[in-house]
Amino acid sequence: MYLPDFDYYAPESVSEALDLLTEHKENAKVICGGTDLLPKMKHELLAPKVLISIKKLPNIKKIEYVKGKGISIGAAATHNEIVFSEVVNSKYPSICNAAAQMAANQVRHVGTIGGNIVSAVPSADLPPILIALGATAKIAGPGKERVIPLEDVFTGPQQNCLEANELLTEIFIPDGDMTCSTYHKFALRRAGALAVVGVAVALQTKGCADGACSIEDARIVYGAVAPTPMRGVKAEAVVKGKMATDDVFEEAGKVAYSECKPISDFRASEEYRRNLVGVYTKRCLKRAIENGHK
Amino acid sequence: MNEEEGIVYSKENHLYDHIRFAGQRPTQIGVSKPRIDGVPKVTGAGKYTGDLKFPNMLYGKLLGSPHAHAKILSIDTSEAEKIPGVMKVITAKDVPDLKYGISPARWDENVLCIDKARFVGDKVAAVACVDEETCYKALKAIKVEYEVLPAALDYHTAMEDGQPQVHDEYPNNINTEIHHKFGDPDKAFAEAEYTRTDICEGHRTYSSPIEPHSAISIWKDGKLTVYCSSQSVHYFQYYIAREFGLKMGDVHVISPLVGGGFGQKLEPTGLEFCGAVLSKLTGRPVKMFYDRYEMFQHNRGRHQGHYEVSSAWKKDGTMQAVKVNFITDGGAYTSLGIATAYYAGGLLPLTYVFDHFQFDLLRMYTNLPACGAQRGHGAPQPKYAFESHLDNVAMDLGIDPLELRKKNVRKPYTTTCNGLQIQTCRLGEAFEKLGEMTDWDKKRKPGHLPKGRGIGIGSGSFVTGAGYPIYRNDWPSSSAMIRVNEDGTAATLYTQAVDIGQGAYTVLCQEAAEAMGYCYENMKIVAGDTEVAPLDFGAYASRLTATCGWACKRAGEEIKAKILETAGFMLHLPPEDLICVDGVISSVSRPKVKPLTFSEVAKKYFIIKGPLVGTGVYTVPRLGGYHKGAPVATSICYSFCTQAAEVEVDEETGEVAVLQAWDVHDAGTVINPALMQGQVHGAFAMGFSETVSEQVLFDDKGKIINGDFGGYRVITALDVPSFTNALIPSSDEPSTPWGLKEIGEGSNNPTMGAVRNAIFQATGVSCEKLPMSYENIWRAIQKKKAADAAKK
Repeated sequence: MYLPDFDYYAPESVSEALDLLTEHKENAKVICGGTDLLPKMKHELLAPKVLISIKKLPNIKKIEYVKGKGISIGAAATHNEIVFSEVVNSKYPSICNAAAQMAANQVRHVGTIGGNIVSAVPSADLPPILIALGATAKIAGPGKERVIPLEDVFTGPQQNCLEANELLTEIFIPDGDMTCSTYHKFALRRAGALAVVGVAVALQTKGCADGACSIEDARIVYGAVAPTPMRGVKAEAVVKGKMATDDVFEEAGKVAYSECKPISDFRASEEYRRNLVGVYTKRCLKRAIENGHK
Repeated sequence: MNEEEGIVYSKENHLYDHIRFAGQRPTQIGVSKPRIDGVPKVTGAGKYTGDLKFPNMLYGKLLGSPHAHAKILSIDTSEAEKIPGVMKVITAKDVPDLKYGISPARWDENVLCIDKARFVGDKVAAVACVDEETCYKALKAIKVEYEVLPAALDYHTAMEDGQPQVHDEYPNNINTEIHHKFGDPDKAFAEAEYTRTDICEGHRTYSSPIEPHSAISIWKDGKLTVYCSSQSVHYFQYYIAREFGLKMGDVHVISPLVGGGFGQKLEPTGLEFCGAVLSKLTGRPVKMFYDRYEMFQHNRGRHQGHYEVSSAWKKDGTMQAVKVNFITDGGAYTSLGIATAYYAGGLLPLTYVFDHFQFDLLRMYTNLPACGAQRGHGAPQPKYAFESHLDNVAMDLGIDPLELRKKNVRKPYTTTCNGLQIQTCRLGEAFEKLGEMTDWDKKRKPGHLPKGRGIGIGSGSFVTGAGYPIYRNDWPSSSAMIRVNEDGTAATLYTQAVDIGQGAYTVLCQEAAEAMGYCYENMKIVAGDTEVAPLDFGAYASRLTATCGWACKRAGEEIKAKILETAGFMLHLPPEDLICVDGVISSVSRPKVKPLTFSEVAKKYFIIKGPLVGTGVYTVPRLGGYHKGAPVATSICYSFCTQAAEVEVDEETGEVAVLQAWDVHDAGTVINPALMQGQVHGAFAMGFSETVSEQVLFDDKGKIINGDFGGYRVITALDVPSFTNALIPSSDEPSTPWGLKEIGEGSNNPTMGAVRNAIFQATGVSCEKLPMSYENIWRAIQKKKAADAAKK
């Protein structure tokens, strides 16, 4: 349990950071909160020779609403900064709730949204709700910048689509037509626990106030039950264009049960995870419709 | 006009109440005095072993075997020795080959493995380096050639012929076996109107104290000083002296502040033994400690077991006979496991009355880390099996589970069928009170609680100090000395007792102050030190408040006698006429005589006679029966308690939430109510965590796969249920000072059973397997649904 030796850089501009990444390539790791990286280094799972801190990059922690467009969250915004962000709370409290369910207060104080994404741990709590709300990722590279759907960032367990010389700088949640959203996490204790299953739902509904609630559009995302956060495409198809009834939710749960791809580990068996995805999909749909984005 | 005219005086005079009622009304005990070590602990000023540093100190680490069972063919330390900063590397050839173990029944451990390693982590070599980082480098550079052997990993099958042998000396891997028979159980079963058998499976848990095991060894001029995180400086001193052939007087063991023990810091480990050798060879102090993962390997946790419980009854709910047949997983070494084995069955007859009892047990050696004593020593899992069984019986007989327990409850001043002598017992009253507090009758009515909700009960009892020491000796169990400062403004209590977080130092000072007629606030304590304080066996078996309490009380009474004698001389009154309360000495017969203060009398004493010192000693009387193993589970006094839990089960996910938990304790006189509450609440939380969450898991090669707090889920404060604790007050227990009883360990006896029985009422599902994790509950619900469907 000892950190191996490494060189440490704290660039003050994105271009400087990209230069360092280009120079050191695979030997370098980007560090911000370090809540994922440092334990891995202590356990000798990773031994980067160079650590590049992005904490000093301009605007990297900024959370703001871009009028008429959406919410922009800098990659280095901490979970607690999101939990307590008025900007995010006023629009999508569901994101704040997801951030608040993560780990423990100490980790939420230093861990960041960017780290939660690029570490690409299948059980991460933020990606499902962000993907459900149609978030995009801004990735800076030498001489170029690309914006891609967040779900495309994840390529496998602890694997992302970033090149060695690229850097995630911003998450953007566009204004959309979704009227409600929620993230529901199943963990084995009430704090300091990884999601055994996480389900996020974002829906566009119509007529709910009048008692004839129909679902116009739906995005359902499963966490911790596939190599990457997984879109529940088949469950979405079940609910889209339907009236919001318990039977429809039940049916969506059944489809979710069969379309997720969990594995067994010491936290939960595959069978149990499937069951949970089914139950939680059903419950999330109901909860989202009842509570809006809360 | 006379100013006093017209005044009406109260007809009652309370001026000397504190004197008139002294003796009946203690002032220093029964009060929630602040912890004597509270401020230094919460401010960080207090020093634990890990905080200590000495000039020229080296750091040491152990190299553990990567295999569960392997012959050690060769060890090459040459590369490690070349690394700058590596001061010494030792292997078996450098350390004594005398086998050790905390239990003299089986000394089966080597300081470093000689021929083979018996579990993943078994200690193979040790290093001392200039810093910690170098230690890790050195460990990696030690080359050990192993011949990997097949391993015995499943205690259920470890006794079968052809299984790998963990120790050649113990055929079929049987570490110990118990075959007890009291009364005539076979006849009772044959003639019974009703019998039933249930089987439960336990699980392996670790207490996980916040402070890791650590030791600093300083071997200098033929004398060995060890600072260590220990529950018993005496057992450490004895075993360290024995291992190295030193005189006990040349081994000085000091336990600074300890951050939790729970039974797992009762025995010296490789840290003390290897640290001593490394210090001797380098001539420098050596600090060694376990990291969290190593804690899981070397921390002697709770035995898991296979528990078969049978009982024989009259149809009216009278319990007649019990047979239990247990197999437990001891791991690679004995540790305190022989005692654990006897406790597993031996404590069962305490809470309910039955005349015929058969207790069979096999404690198996396996190639897994050794198990030992953990809070509630041996009792909680068998008690879970037994309390589960009782609710099954209650259902079969159509009797309410609480009624069934009341009907068979232990009576005061009785002897159990296995020879345990009980003095006071108010478990029956505790059941009554629990029934009222929980609104039991209403909640148990079918249909009263909403679907998925249920309430369950369990009971527990535990020793207030073990009747016998861990190794055979004729020492008194406890002794204490009090020295009053020359000017009488403070008094220091000296004893080898150790505070491991339970509050012993506070409680012992309260007891001493009470006996002295002094004030707790003026007490100091020097403890956990073999050189400056007199013998006490330490913090285990829930003994200190009672046994060391006796010694403190007697030491305090000696001081008080001296004070009264001196005060009598100063006041020209006979000492018998004087009374000393809260540091004030006054005359009973002449209330107008100006009282003296304790400090002025103590000062006078010093001027005339020299140091004002009192000593006290306590020896446990001969207890128990004459059968093999009879000493285990004997005690001067037993605590009793009952707990209930009300749960809500989410049948779709198996999630269980305890909405409310209750505890009613027959705890006798309470010395410090706040500390008592803390112990009971803490024990319940710990028991609940073991019930629903904790479990050490191994891969198929015997390696721990969740040896950290992310994977080994001790519950968090958010998970601890709302909890109410009530007492059945009493002060008539004759065997203990002031009639107190233990509180620290019996409190987690009933928890597992209460939760299981609540889930049973809520869902009709019997959790026959620990932990009652969400998934295990969900599986049990699925199984029941399938069975119910098949019936239709």
